[in-house]
Amino acid sequence: EACPRITMTDSKYFTTTKKGEIFELKAELNSDKKEKKKEAVKKVIASMTVGKDVSALFPDVVNCMQTDNLELKKLVYLYLMNYAKSQPDMAIMAVNTFVKDCEDPNPLIRALAVRTMGCIRVDKITEYLCEPLRKCLKDEDPYVRKTAAVCVAKLHDINAQLVEDQGFLDTLKDLISDSNPMVVANAVAALSEIAESHPNSNLLDLNPQTINKLLTALNECTEWGQIFILDCLANYSPKDDREAQSICERVTPRLSHANSAVVLSAVKVLMKFMEMLSKDLDYYGTLLKKLAPPLVTLLSAEPELQYVALRNINLIVQKRPEILKHEMKVFFVKYNDPIYVKLEKLDIMIRLASQANIAQVLAELKEYATEVDVDFVRKAVRAIGRCAIKVEQSAERCVSTLLDLIQTKVNYVVQEAIVVIKDIFRKYPNKYESVIATLCENLDSLDEPEARAAMIWIVGEYAERIDNADELLESFLEGFHDESTQVQLQLLTAIVKLFLKKPTETQELVQQVLSLATQDSDNPDLRDRGYIYWRLLSTDPVAAKEVVLAEKPLISEETDLIEPTLLDELICHIGTLASVYHKPPSAFVEGSRGVQHKRLPPRSGSNESTESPDVTPSAAAQPTEQQPAVIPSQGDLLGDLLNLDLGPPVNVPPIPSSTVQMGAMDLLGGGLDSLMGDETEGLGGDLSGSPAIGAGYGTPAVMPTSLTAPLGGGLSDLFDLAGGMNMPSGSYVEPKTVWLPAAKAKGLEISGTFSRRMGHIYMDLSLMNKAMQVMTDFAIQFNRNSFGMAPAAPLQVNAPLAPNQTIEVSLPLNTVGPVMKMDPLTNLQVAVKNNIDVFYFSCLYPINMLFVEDGKMDRQIFLATWKDIPNENEVQFQIKDCHLNADAVTNKLQSNNIFTVAKRNVEGQDMLYQSLKLTNGIWVLAELRIQPGNPNYTLSLKCRVSEVSQHVFQAYEVILKN
Amino acid sequence: MISQLFIVSARGDHLIYKDLRGEESKDVVDIFYQKVRSLPRDQAPVVMHHQGLQFIHIRQDTLYLVATTRCNVSPFTVVQFLVRLVSLIKDHCGTLNEKTLQLNFALVYELLDEMLDYGYIQTTSSDILKNFIQTVPETSKQFNLFELSNIGLFGADTQQSKVAPSIAASRPVFAMRTEEGLKTEIFVDVIERLTVVIGANGSLMRADVQGEVRMKCFLPSSTEIRMGLNEEFSIGKADIRGYAAAVKVDECSFHQSVNLDEFESDRILRVVPPQGELTVMQYSLSDDLPVSLPFRLFPTVDKDTDSNRLMVYLKLRCDLSPKSQALNVTVHLPVPKGTTSLSQELSSPDQRAELDSVTRSVHWTIPRFHGGSQLSALFKLEVPGLSASSLLELGPVCMQFELPMSTCSGLQVRFLRVSSTHPPLPHRWVRYVTHSDSYVIRL
Repeated sequence: EACPRITMTDSKYFTTTKKGEIFELKAELNSDKKEKKKEAVKKVIASMTVGKDVSALFPDVVNCMQTDNLELKKLVYLYLMNYAKSQPDMAIMAVNTFVKDCEDPNPLIRALAVRTMGCIRVDKITEYLCEPLRKCLKDEDPYVRKTAAVCVAKLHDINAQLVEDQGFLDTLKDLISDSNPMVVANAVAALSEIAESHPNSNLLDLNPQTINKLLTALNECTEWGQIFILDCLANYSPKDDREAQSICERVTPRLSHANSAVVLSAVKVLMKFMEMLSKDLDYYGTLLKKLAPPLVTLLSAEPELQYVALRNINLIVQKRPEILKHEMKVFFVKYNDPIYVKLEKLDIMIRLASQANIAQVLAELKEYATEVDVDFVRKAVRAIGRCAIKVEQSAERCVSTLLDLIQTKVNYVVQEAIVVIKDIFRKYPNKYESVIATLCENLDSLDEPEARAAMIWIVGEYAERIDNADELLESFLEGFHDESTQVQLQLLTAIVKLFLKKPTETQELVQQVLSLATQDSDNPDLRDRGYIYWRLLSTDPVAAKEVVLAEKPLISEETDLIEPTLLDELICHIGTLASVYHKPPSAFVEGSRGVQHKRLPPRSGSNESTESPDVTPSAAAQPTEQQPAVIPSQGDLLGDLLNLDLGPPVNVPPIPSSTVQMGAMDLLGGGLDSLMGDETEGLGGDLSGSPAIGAGYGTPAVMPTSLTAPLGGGLSDLFDLAGGMNMPSGSYVEPKTVWLPAAKAKGLEISGTFSRRMGHIYMDLSLMNKAMQVMTDFAIQFNRNSFGMAPAAPLQVNAPLAPNQTIEVSLPLNTVGPVMKMDPLTNLQVAVKNNIDVFYFSCLYPINMLFVEDGKMDRQIFLATWKDIPNENEVQFQIKDCHLNADAVTNKLQSNNIFTVAKRNVEGQDMLYQSLKLTNGIWVLAELRIQPGNPNYTLSLKCRVSEVSQHVFQAYEVILKN
Repeated sequence: MISQLFIVSARGDHLIYKDLRGEESKDVVDIFYQKVRSLPRDQAPVVMHHQGLQFIHIRQDTLYLVATTRCNVSPFTVVQFLVRLVSLIKDHCGTLNEKTLQLNFALVYELLDEMLDYGYIQTTSSDILKNFIQTVPETSKQFNLFELSNIGLFGADTQQSKVAPSIAASRPVFAMRTEEGLKTEIFVDVIERLTVVIGANGSLMRADVQGEVRMKCFLPSSTEIRMGLNEEFSIGKADIRGYAAAVKVDECSFHQSVNLDEFESDRILRVVPPQGELTVMQYSLSDDLPVSLPFRLFPTVDKDTDSNRLMVYLKLRCDLSPKSQALNVTVHLPVPKGTTSLSQELSSPDQRAELDSVTRSVHWTIPRFHGGSQLSALFKLEVPGLSASSLLELGPVCMQFELPMSTCSGLQVRFLRVSSTHPPLPHRWVRYVTHSDSYVIRL
């Protein structure tokens, strides 16, 4: 709640509220003396600013409006803008003066009137404003015209239809050719904003002629106008590389502008249009060179702006590293940089690191690693490791630097160093293992899970070279249950590795860890991994060795890269908030504004078409309604913005009890036996004699193939059950479509559909693992949506999803979640998490999912309601090519909760009157006209909320045709 | 598009509030205030968001100037705009603080009305704005012409300025319209920020200068000023240096009111400055400074593991010309963690040194340091558990200082001519200062 604080001050306007103050002001406002009046209005406005309610003075202030004194007039208008909305009836009192002022010989007064009029957001008076506005748009004075141009945007926000009907949009378009650049700039700004709420309106019809006009105005208008124009240019798609080049040439001079906002807008245009230029072109090289200095200059601004600049540079470096490849030095950290600037610089340094500059970079990083700030030091240490992985020649030096740092014994430095050394081992196997001894000395000081896990991995991986590997690993076992999952999993694997390498001495240890993992742990991942090892070891040790000690795939050189399609979109938003958040605008801008996805133009060169999606500009402008839109995953911020809370996997259901009840300590023998016996009858016997671990080793037991996934088998029954609910219950279910392609979700493919069964809505999903690794920990969450659809239960995926495996899940939904209007209405944004990452996609649900079972309206009520709903809400549709008779139609619709209230036969035509109700209580009334012999039906829909009609019509079509 | 614009004091008082698009409520001001007060240390505060509403703000002394928006705007645009708003309020009201805002709120609203329409920025040019502004500013105190003789740098409010802003800074530009016979004056400041990294072996690893020429003008508008720079002034890395001590910068940008017609031939800038403050030019140079570095450090470190004592002997030489001096010199020396005490020997009594356990460093302050002289300091540090790796934590040394009356680039203003036809000639002041930005010497 806004609670104004009044400060002690000697200012005469800011005095604390006294009784009768309003009364005094009233008297002063009605004074004859001009000065006194003015002072009184000032006092009123001062009170308004600090939050006092002075709306009671409305008529008195409005009385002061008719004056020749411009200063007083301005003050009164200021008051009007603030209170007109709360006093709509009295605002009408002001209309006459506005109309009069719009005719005043003084252009300042004309402009003042037209500017204020637009700010009075009262529907009643808008129509009075049209005539004055029309005149002002054609005023002889450019100051009045530019103000009128903005007024059109204001009016459009209040009453879009009015603006269109009055033809103001066309006048606005004409103003793009105005002789005054400021008028052009405001017209462009107003049109751009209006166009955003009509994505396909083609309001801003950019063609070579208008572009030419804009480029001319660009040279003449103020710096702020230049920004409007440049941002508008960035939305244009040149027809070929020549046009792109000529625009670039005319935009380039803006790069040396003193206003960094102009510079960034120019950079955006250039980065976008460069995409169309061939890299062989001389001009392309020239342009690259011209881009570097302005970007470097941005770094001499205040720290806050530096940060914004660095976030943009981070994008530019990922897209075109060649621009700044010689500018490494400017990203070196200054000791007095704020930490957020330092961290961002470090990130860019790594991205620019190459063989040519690695020595310099490394020398810097080494310095940073001994600074005071913990976060910065950690990141610097990590950066050294990333250098080693990125530039092979530097690996040796990096490792020795890291060893030096480990010698400092500074706890967090040591831990970070060990984490990155693990990665270096992965990248360059059998090269730097000599340092293992040094690492082992620091085992005790590691208290962070990531560092502990890394160290355990190293011990397990090189167990054969570490004499006391068993002792080291055993020391971790004592507190096994207090460790984080990461460490537990790593420890399990490391001990199994150790066992496979030194089987004779470590039987006990492996028994112990398997027992801890499978029996004493509640964590399904850990148990599953434990069982897998256990079974592998007991059945086929050779295979176990092949699996566990397999050669690992190489790790990639670059980390934290932004996904290419997102990067391309962000490049189109250089200089904006999106480029600071590294999120598409749709992630943080509500409503329609700015949600349109922008794309880079397709590259003109033939061999590089893979760089950007092959989309024609016109298609790019279409909202992606057909295609499931994948919302690119980028860490947690997006999650935050969507208000998603994807915590640890929810409600992991207990594993079927039969598998858990294994009291026997002889793990690999009896325990396994009972497990197998319960799960797969008849086969358990083969294994009952399975000797204990040591002996079992010598005799390779042959595993019946059907036994390979006993657990999976049990669970698939469960899924069959879920699948079985998918029986035809009459309501139409669309076939599943792919919502999230595997390429966008690190191998997870999700396809699905919606169904309504027994009064409940389900989201039927197929999860397919196309990755090389097992997927676990699935969870799902929806963003707010139009009908409050939300999961009624957690996503139940009870077993890990093996590569190439598909699971069918049916997720029950309810409609009591948070509501936010989506565009399109039935759009649903979904986040799915697994052990790998969080993925976002959106899908459309058929609206008939929301048709409830008690949607049959009483005849009388139907008639009354039909009449009651205004005629402009009636929408008529044609359903073509349908060959059903009225009864079949009735039945088909009824099973989808569209109920026929009455049927009439008029002149051979069947008229069906139908009703349906949505989950949120919205009624839709329908009249369906069927003419015998005519396959085209006419459907009239009436609903108080007419936006749903279109969707209901689609539902009719789909239901009747399937 | 800016949705709202408001100014709140550090105590949370609403000083100015303008709703530009009728989209939001006034509660936003308090939401912002709560957010900004609860900021964690390392969050970049320039953009913040709350339920889809974005806040972009700058802080000016005790005031927050804030713009909100629901669009994907350019934060650069908004910040630049807010910065201009600050300087425009200063131009009109003399200073910007709670008091002047309360006295002149009507003027500020009038300014905002002309600067922003429906959240679109219209203009920030004082020359254009003065045609529209009706309100006469009210100043809290008549300024005293006598004080003008005692001049500090008006534009020196850089990060670490110790230079007290003079009365010139708090003088409204437009207030004199009614007062006759007031002096016409023009101030030009050349301000440079120096970034240096010297490697452990004494080699210069990096040297950058960011410079700007700023002007504050109390002249009737449309007066042309001709400013002559060094004749040997050259721009661009490729140029071959001449024989003389040429002044060379890598990049240079000029304010749009600067006419460069005479620049190529005679290095003369022709400026028709709007009234008030403006940055005439900005420039930068790197790596190749024409003058020697202001400071050299010669460190010696002795480690005595037995007594857990570290002896650091610093010899600091000031290589400025004997006529010049450095002011407010501070030397920061990070020391190993766990350092328990410091004893020092300094070469003169006005110097001080202390151990700051929070930043884990020794601060050595020297109020005044003459060119050509040399100072030394011996620090004895008690470091329990001293080891070879402790030395890694020692350093790098960072220095802060200011160098009045000198520039590292060598840039000079040769002359400043005002094409004024009416006597008396305006008073002209040209001043120079170099600040350390990040001056680092590795050990």
